[in-house]
Amino acid sequence: MNLLVLAARNIVRYRHRTLVTTLAMAFAGAIMILFSTLMVGLLQASERNAVVMNLGDVQVHAQGYREDPDLYNVIRDPEDIVQKIHGSAQESGVRASYRLYGFGLAASGRASSGIQLRAIVPALEAQVTQLHKHVAQGQWLSPEDDYGVVIGRRLAKTLGIGPGDELVFLGQASDGSIANDVFRVRGVLKSVAEGVDRSGVYLLMSTFRQLMAMPQGAHEIAAIRLDRTTPLAAIKQSVLDSAPGYEVMDWKELRPVLANILESAGDQMLFMLIITYTAVATVVLNAMLMSVFERIHEFGVMKALGVTPWQLIRLIYAETFLQVLIASLLALAGGWALSQYFHDNAIDLSQIASGASFAGVAMDPLWRTELTAESFYIPIILQVVIALLAVLYPAIKAAVIQPVKAIYYR
Amino acid sequence: MFSYRSMPDRDSGLYIIRFSLVLLLIGATQLLCSPVFASENRALKILREIDDMWRGESSYALISMKVKTRHYTRTLELEAWSKGKEKSLIRILSPRKEKGTATLKSGNTIYSYLPKTDRTIRLTSGMMSGSWMGSHFTNDDLVKESRLEDDYTPSISFEGRRGGSAIIEFTLIPKPDAPVVWGKLVTVVTADDYLPIIQKYYDEDMVLVREMRFSDVKIISGRRRPTIMRVIPQDKPKEYTELHYRKLEFNVNLSDAFFSLSRLKRY
Amino acid sequence: MKLTVIAWRNVWRRKRRTLITGFSIGFGVMLAVTFTGTGDYMYTNMINSSATMGLGHITVAARGYNDTPTLDKRLDGVAELRQTLQSNPSTTQVVIRIMGQAMFASAIKTVGGVFIAVDPAQESENVNEMLKSIIEGKIFTSSSGRGVVVGQRMAERLKLKLGKKLVYTTTDIHGEIVSAIARVSGIYKTGINEVDGHIVLLPLNRVRKILQYGDDEAGLVAVMIRDQRYTDSVQQQLLASVGRPEREVLSWRQTQSDLAGLITIDRSSNYITQLLVGLLIAAGILNTLLMSVLERTREFGIMIAVGMSPATLFRLVMAESFWMALIGLLLGILLTAPWFYYMSTVGIDFSSSIGNEYTASGVLIDPVIKIRLFKESVAVILLAVFTLTMVSGLYPAWRAGRVVPVESIKTI
Repeated sequence: MNLLVLAARNIVRYRHRTLVTTLAMAFAGAIMILFSTLMVGLLQASERNAVVMNLGDVQVHAQGYREDPDLYNVIRDPEDIVQKIHGSAQESGVRASYRLYGFGLAASGRASSGIQLRAIVPALEAQVTQLHKHVAQGQWLSPEDDYGVVIGRRLAKTLGIGPGDELVFLGQASDGSIANDVFRVRGVLKSVAEGVDRSGVYLLMSTFRQLMAMPQGAHEIAAIRLDRTTPLAAIKQSVLDSAPGYEVMDWKELRPVLANILESAGDQMLFMLIITYTAVATVVLNAMLMSVFERIHEFGVMKALGVTPWQLIRLIYAETFLQVLIASLLALAGGWALSQYFHDNAIDLSQIASGASFAGVAMDPLWRTELTAESFYIPIILQVVIALLAVLYPAIKAAVIQPVKAIYYR
Repeated sequence: MFSYRSMPDRDSGLYIIRFSLVLLLIGATQLLCSPVFASENRALKILREIDDMWRGESSYALISMKVKTRHYTRTLELEAWSKGKEKSLIRILSPRKEKGTATLKSGNTIYSYLPKTDRTIRLTSGMMSGSWMGSHFTNDDLVKESRLEDDYTPSISFEGRRGGSAIIEFTLIPKPDAPVVWGKLVTVVTADDYLPIIQKYYDEDMVLVREMRFSDVKIISGRRRPTIMRVIPQDKPKEYTELHYRKLEFNVNLSDAFFSLSRLKRY
Repeated sequence: MKLTVIAWRNVWRRKRRTLITGFSIGFGVMLAVTFTGTGDYMYTNMINSSATMGLGHITVAARGYNDTPTLDKRLDGVAELRQTLQSNPSTTQVVIRIMGQAMFASAIKTVGGVFIAVDPAQESENVNEMLKSIIEGKIFTSSSGRGVVVGQRMAERLKLKLGKKLVYTTTDIHGEIVSAIARVSGIYKTGINEVDGHIVLLPLNRVRKILQYGDDEAGLVAVMIRDQRYTDSVQQQLLASVGRPEREVLSWRQTQSDLAGLITIDRSSNYITQLLVGLLIAAGILNTLLMSVLERTREFGIMIAVGMSPATLFRLVMAESFWMALIGLLLGILLTAPWFYYMSTVGIDFSSSIGNEYTASGVLIDPVIKIRLFKESVAVILLAVFTLTMVSGLYPAWRAGRVVPVESIKTI
C-alpha cells in the first residue's frame, strides 16, 4: 500500500491526537510568524524613520561639508545632478532632492532658540522623504505659501508656538548682511530625529535663497530607491556616477551606529527566534514522542508481522510529514491573519510613551507588523526541520525495538 | 528638560547681531583712556591723560565699515551715538536693504531692531558670539571692550624708538577675575601725542590672535586722531574689517530718552 | 491513598514525556528570566546613569522650570529643603544645583552648552556622571572659586588644557547678560558626544553670585534614591513633605520623558514577546496534559465506574498539573541557574556589533548586556509560569471529568 495513504489513514485513525499535536504545532507556527512580522515591522520602522524621514538612502555633499557645515561649501549644480540621477535612474528607480541648510536664531515673543533652517523643494522632497505625511499639527509646506514654515516638535515647545503663530528669524546671509524675516508656522512635525525635533525649521527653497542670498547651490542631495529591494550599493554607484567629485555616502555610512544597531538587531532577532524555537521544539518533540510511544505496542505488532525497521521509520516520517504539512498550512493561514490584523491595526504606543529615541532617531509610536516573505517561510522551515528532528529519536526507538518488548511495552 | 544642542556652537556666523564696531572703537579708545584708580603707576597716568583728551560725555559718529572675507566684501554706512559708557545706539544708513537696522545698548542689555520685520529682539547670552554684520567682531567684544579698565592691569613694557618713531608700548594683563578670553593685550601709541598705532590680542599661550591697526591720522573735532581702524584675524590674514570715521563729535546734547526702545524704530 | 500521591505517581508513569514537558516549562522560566533580567538590568542602568546627568531620580524645582528652564526660576530655602529631603530614608544623596544654558568661550572660539553649578562638598561620583568620568585633573575644591570641569570634546574644540581660561556668558535673574571667567580644573569624558561637548560643571556659590541668586537660592535640588523602582512612591512622600505651590517635585519620568518613553516601549515589546512565548509553552503543556488524559480514557472510565466522582477526577488531573508545574519550575531553576550566573557576572559583549557609542534617549548604553533580577521579578516569573501550567491543565482536567464510563471502557 502506498506509504502516504497508510500514513494518512493512521493520522485519521488517531484523529484526537493528530488534532491536538497539529493544532499545537500550528499555533506555535502562527505565533512565530506573528513574532517575526512584529520584529520586522520594528526594524523596518526604525530604518524607515531614519531613511524615509530624513536621511534618504544616499546623500551627496561637497567634500568636507559634513565635518564642518560651512554655508559656503556647496554643491554647485544640484539641479543638474538631481536631473542626472532621475535620468540615469529610469531603470534603477531612484528619486533625489536637494536641500540647503542655514543656522540662525528664531524668536517668538520673549522666547528664542538657535535653529537650523532646512530648505527644500516640496515637489522633489515629497518623492524622497515622507516628512509631508509626518505633520502632527497644521499642514506641510506649500509652494504658494512663501513665508510658511514647518518646525520640529521640541522647538515648538521651546518657543511656545504652534500653527498660525509667528516666528522671527535672524541670521547672517551669505553676503554678510543681516538675514531676517517673519515667518508663519504652518505646521509642527511629529518626532522625526533629535536634530530636527530640537532645532529644525523647514521652509521653501526659493524663500531660503532670497533670505540667505544664495541664488544657487545646495548643501545636500538625498536620493532614495523606490524599490527597497534594489541593493544599496547599486544606487550609491548610480548617484556617484551622477555627482562626480562630490562626497557620496549611503545611510549606513552616515549613521554607522544606527546601521550597527539595526544589523545587530537582526542578529538579536535570530537569537530570539532560536531561543523561542527551542521552546517550540520541546512542544513538537513532546507531541511526536507521544504519538510514537503510545503506539509502540502497535509498531511491535507490525514488526512481528515482518515490517522492516526502515519501513517503520518511513511510515512514522510520512505521518509526521503529513501532520507538519497540515500544521504549516494552518500556521500560515493563522499567522497571516494575525499579522495582517496587526498590520492594519497598529499597536499604538503613543498612549504609553509620548516620545522615545534611540541612536538619534525618533521611534515611531505606531508599531505595526510588516509581512515579508522571510517572516513567513523562515518560521515554517524551522518548524518543519524541528519536527522532523524531533521525531528522529522516537522513530529510531520504535524501529529498533524488539517486537516482544514492544508488545508488552507500557 | 535640557537640550544640549539647542544652543549654537558653530565657530562664527551663527548669531550675527554683532554690536557695532563703533562701540568697539569707542571702547578701544576708552581702553587707552581708562579712568584710573588712585595709583602711582605711570602707565595708568598716561592712560588717564589720554582718556581726558578723548573722552566725551557723549558722542556722535558717522562711520563707514568695510568687511572683507573670503566670501564677500561689503560696505556699510553707520551712524552712532553714545552717552557715558553704558548707553549707545547704532543705526545702519546703507545699504538700502539693511537701512534702519538699529542696535541699542543700555547697560548690559542689547536690543536689535529689524525694520524689515518691524521687530525688536533682545539679545540673549546665546547671541553674544558671532559676527556683527558679518564683520570680524563679536557682540562680546563690544560689551567687554567698554569695560577694559575694569578688566586689565596695564604696564609700560617698552618706551623709545621703534621703526623710526618714538612710541610707548603698554601691556595689559587681564585681572584674575576678568571675564576675558585673552591672555594679554599689547597697545602701542605714539610717544608725543599718544595716538594709537596698533593693538594686539594674544591668547593664553601668548599666541597672537588678532590685530587692530590705526591709521590715517586727521584732525577731527579739533584734535589729531587716527580715523581708520582695521581688524585682522591672524588665522585668516587676508580678511579684515575696517572702520573709517567720517565724522566724530563730542559732547553732543543727548537725553537719556534718546536711548530708549521707542527710539529704535525711528527712521 | 491521597489524590496528590496518586497524581505524583501518574506523572511519573510517563517519565520521558514528563521530563520533556518539564523542560519546556523550564525553558519558559529561562526565557522569562533572560527577558526580564536584561530589561531590569538595562533599565536600571539607564535610569541611574541618566539620574547622574544632573537632575537625579527626583528633582525639586521651581514651578514651570521643567517646561522652560530659565535661570530666573529658582528655589528659595534650599539648605533646609535639602535637609528635609535627606531625612527621608529612601533618599541616598541630595545635592543642590543650578542648571542653565551658557556660551563658553576661549580665545579660539565660542560654543553653546549647559552648565551645572555644583557644590563640591555635596557632590560625589555616585551622583555625578561627569565627576566619575574625569580623565585629567579633578573637581574644583572651592564652591566660590574659579574652577571649572569641562568635557573632553569641549576642551578639544576650545583648545583648553588644565589651568586654562574659559569665559562663560549667560543671563542672570534680571535678564541681564553676565559673563565670568573660570579656569579648567578637570576634564571628563563620558563617551557621549552631546555630554562631553556641552556640559560643564561650575562652582555653585560663584554661579549664585554671578546670577545674583541669594545664598540660599538654587535652581534645583537633585535627589538620588536607593532604588529607582520606588521613584513614584518616594516622589509622593517628598511631595507631601516639601511640596508647595511654587515648587514642583518631578520624577525622572517627567524630566527625562524621552528615556521614559524608550523604556516603556521596550518594556512593552518585551512583554509582548514573553506573552507569545508563554502562549506557546502553554499550548505545549495543554497538549501533553490533554494527551495524557485522552489516552487514559479507559482508566478514567473504570475509575468513574467504581464510584469516583467527576469532580475527583478533575482534581486528580489538576493535581497532576500541579506536580508538572513544580517539576517544571525545578527544572527551570536548574536550567536557569548557570545561565543566570554567567549572564549576571560576565554577560554578553555586543560591543563588536554595536560599538561603544550606542546612546538611547541621551543615555549611553553599556554594550555588555547583563542580567539583573529583582526579587519581585523572580516571584512574578515563578508565579506566572506556575499559573500558566495550572491554567493549561484546566481543559484536560475538565475533559477527564466528562468521561462516560461505559463507552470509555470499550475503547482500547
